Amino acid sequence: MPLLKIDGKEIEIKSGTTVLQAAEANGIEIPYYCYHPALEIVGSCRMCLVQVEGMPKLQVSCNTFVGDVPPERKVDGKYDMVVDTQNDLVVQERKNILEFLLLNHPLDCPVCDQAGECYLQDYSFKFGNAHSRFDEAKRVRPNEYLGSQIVINHNRCILCSRCVRFTQEISGTSELFVEARGYNSKIAALEDKPLDNLLAGNVADICPVGALLSTDYIHKNRIWNLKEQPSVCQDCSVGCNVDVFSQRDQILRLTPRENHDVNGYFMCDIGRYGFHRFEEIERVTQPMVRNGESFDALNWDKAIEKTADLIKKSNGKTAGIVSPFHTNESNFLLGLMMNGVLGSLPPITKKEITYQSGFRISADRSPNRRGMNNICGEIVADLPSEIKAQAIHGLYILDDGVDRESDDVWKEILAKMDFVVVQTYAMTALARSANIILPGLAPFEREGTITNDRDRVQWLRSSLPKKGESRADWEILMMVMKALDKEEQTFADVGQVIKVMGEKFPAYKGLSFFRLGPHGMSLNGKASG
Amino acid sequence: MNTFKPVLTEYIDQQDCHTLPFYKRVGGYTALDKVLKMNPEDVTQEVKDSNLRGRGGAGFPTGVKWGFIPKDSNKPKYLINNADESEPGTFKDRLLMNKAPHQMLEGMVIAAYAIGCHTSFIYIRGEFYKEYKLLEKVVTEAYENNLLGDNILGSNYSLDVVIHRGAGAYICGEETGLIESLEGKRGWPRIKPPFPAIEGYLKSPTIVNNVETLSCLPHIVNRGAGWFKSIGPEKGPGPRLFCISGCVNNPGVFEEPMGVSLKELIFDRAGGIPDGKQLKAVFPGGSSSAILTANEAIDVMMDFEELVEKKSMLGSAGVIVMDETVNMVQACLNIARFYAHESCGQCTPCREGTAWLVKMLTRLVNGGGKPNDIDMLFEITDNIGGLIDFSKGSFGKTICPFGEAVAWPVRSFVEKFKGEFMEYLPQEKVVA
Repeated sequence: MPLLKIDGKEIEIKSGTTVLQAAEANGIEIPYYCYHPALEIVGSCRMCLVQVEGMPKLQVSCNTFVGDVPPERKVDGKYDMVVDTQNDLVVQERKNILEFLLLNHPLDCPVCDQAGECYLQDYSFKFGNAHSRFDEAKRVRPNEYLGSQIVINHNRCILCSRCVRFTQEISGTSELFVEARGYNSKIAALEDKPLDNLLAGNVADICPVGALLSTDYIHKNRIWNLKEQPSVCQDCSVGCNVDVFSQRDQILRLTPRENHDVNGYFMCDIGRYGFHRFEEIERVTQPMVRNGESFDALNWDKAIEKTADLIKKSNGKTAGIVSPFHTNESNFLLGLMMNGVLGSLPPITKKEITYQSGFRISADRSPNRRGMNNICGEIVADLPSEIKAQAIHGLYILDDGVDRESDDVWKEILAKMDFVVVQTYAMTALARSANIILPGLAPFEREGTITNDRDRVQWLRSSLPKKGESRADWEILMMVMKALDKEEQTFADVGQVIKVMGEKFPAYKGLSFFRLGPHGMSLNGKASG
Repeated sequence: MNTFKPVLTEYIDQQDCHTLPFYKRVGGYTALDKVLKMNPEDVTQEVKDSNLRGRGGAGFPTGVKWGFIPKDSNKPKYLINNADESEPGTFKDRLLMNKAPHQMLEGMVIAAYAIGCHTSFIYIRGEFYKEYKLLEKVVTEAYENNLLGDNILGSNYSLDVVIHRGAGAYICGEETGLIESLEGKRGWPRIKPPFPAIEGYLKSPTIVNNVETLSCLPHIVNRGAGWFKSIGPEKGPGPRLFCISGCVNNPGVFEEPMGVSLKELIFDRAGGIPDGKQLKAVFPGGSSSAILTANEAIDVMMDFEELVEKKSMLGSAGVIVMDETVNMVQACLNIARFYAHESCGQCTPCREGTAWLVKMLTRLVNGGGKPNDIDMLFEITDNIGGLIDFSKGSFGKTICPFGEAVAWPVRSFVEKFKGEFMEYLPQEKVVA
């Protein structure tokens, strides 16, 4: 392995690593704009210049590869490369580049959405000058829409071309290009093909400055007011890793979180803007019981008691409906509770999309079908006919939380039931047909594990506080089970549910928040179902 | 001194010199015939031995460049004839294409044969429409006469030549910018490494040679590397086309041996300065070379090494002459404006810096000079292109040499004609 000496530090690194990567991996900060690990190297921003011994001029560290050199060319007889990222020349050059980048920049940080997470701002503080020497008029251009969700502030753009390369290399849609030349260059979208692909939102994330902005988030808040929580997207079975930015009980935006086993650096716009669904939907925050056409509020004790009564009276003729939208723990507990018929509602599928870069949007728009199938024991394939065959007359439903109209088959089934208990967070069509509604948590409030369609178990952290009197879904199920005298054990948290789950389904044995970590863990095909 | 007989332009005054019959009559394509019976490696060696250096501007040894083509690569190899002549003050390739297109084509086939290329391109400047039409005819003629296409002159060697027109960008004369443009992309120079000889056109090994460079090849093959090396200085020998324009009586292209004196070029070949005016300054190698004052110019030899010593360069050998009436501040603005217009906009220093220079110089010319403007001009040019002092190690700050191409001439203007720039600054009030 080549031996690199960087700022006096000796580092052994893999041949073919760039100086920039080596520095980053070893805690040495080299500033850069145009480089992005997922995109082709262009080396145009000139921000990452470093001094390489033996080279007459400064080298861009993003395109300087360390490799084995023959013994006679080794520096000091042992180093394959010697790099200085801190000498006067490099320090001065960073100042120079930042000066150029800020010549026409409006310096409007106080009204810029990027402020607080802007590399122009951060590097200027760290490496730049305090004053401008530019005495001429600045170039001023109006903002433009590149697509329905992305707006560009040309005055802040530093032309790093990350966004252009993204549409060429990742989405493969090539809507963006650099228009005109030199000083007049600007990012533009094709006239007849605006930036409206399903990955468009990512360009705002990879923009290192405040040029590309998502219209969904623009001027809504300041980044330092928001709480940032790692989580997992629940809008399809890929399970992209995300960061949830929220203030109090409101999500402001989602951004992708790096995970090379799942989504790489990106996420799709379905997931990115998916959280707005929870704003529009009517939330259920209190246990309710049907009273004619409307519902009466109930306290938890009463609601649980009533539910247990109904199930007991049905003499084992209650079917459980698990949900691919819920966590493994909730589904597992429902399976445990129902030793009769267990099934699920018809799946929600759309077209599967795979981009040239390998990025995938799954056809299955539920996040946890794989997990549900893994940990519920037997799930009947044809629930409607099974209901008929077994003369089922009660249903306990873990609601998907997706507002969809039931088809005729299901309308008929629901009409025939003696009772329907729906555990849900939203007043869906299904909830409206219930006798008892038990208020659970919405997707970003839940905690537990989900398993994506490539067998990866990921930990879902609750990003938002629960609303009203709603309770964690596993907790509700635990309470019902107790009332049914089914389960003696009291679970203090999800972890304890997982413990029991692991005993029954060995693939899930030993899972914990710490073991899964931020990037989840593969089951390596050990789970059945 | 005047024993030199033109090589590349020997016949350009004669009628029909561009036609195939004429070219064949004066010995055309005999070099090709000879080459096709040689080993490609021997051809490369011959060119290496001749010390032929690129005529496009950088002056890189041609044979050495060919030698960078990987021997073990199974990818196709490409030869690109860089006919995108766009350096201000340079118009020699245009002459060669008009008057001796077959000489250039023969050079192309020789070069292609040497590097094992079977598809080759002529990337011709978009504005050269007449030349483009002529080259189309010439290439067709060559195909018809078995000088191109399959089994050239009965050998096993085949070569196709495709003519591609540029769309009018200076930067597409830079070899990687050219390759991008040829691939149908924006003419943004690529970051190196990899160099084109390893990964060029369509990520395959590619050699880009200038029209004049290629035109030299038939003569090297015919008369030998020794003959070529005997013309002019040994480190950069051969005949060279000098384009002389600006304040001279007789502007034009003159073929002279390398190392001819600039004085002779201006006062003898180009007929001196009109109306008995005094020489003020000269660009020795196109507008991207640092300007020389009259004193420097008068005893300089037009040779790669000597001009580097004078902190300028031979470049494309486009000599632009300025007489005493030229306002150097305005000339400087003119040059800066050209480069700001032609900057591709990829690298930060070049995109932003060139525009800054133009804004500042425009203000200066319009009477808005500020006391520290001259210091600022030095700083900005240094930040775009770096210092020309090679020992300091702080030159070349951009992907391609465009940064230097704007910084060096502008800096040289301010440095060498500081007095004129000072006149544009606010005059210090004399306290009585």
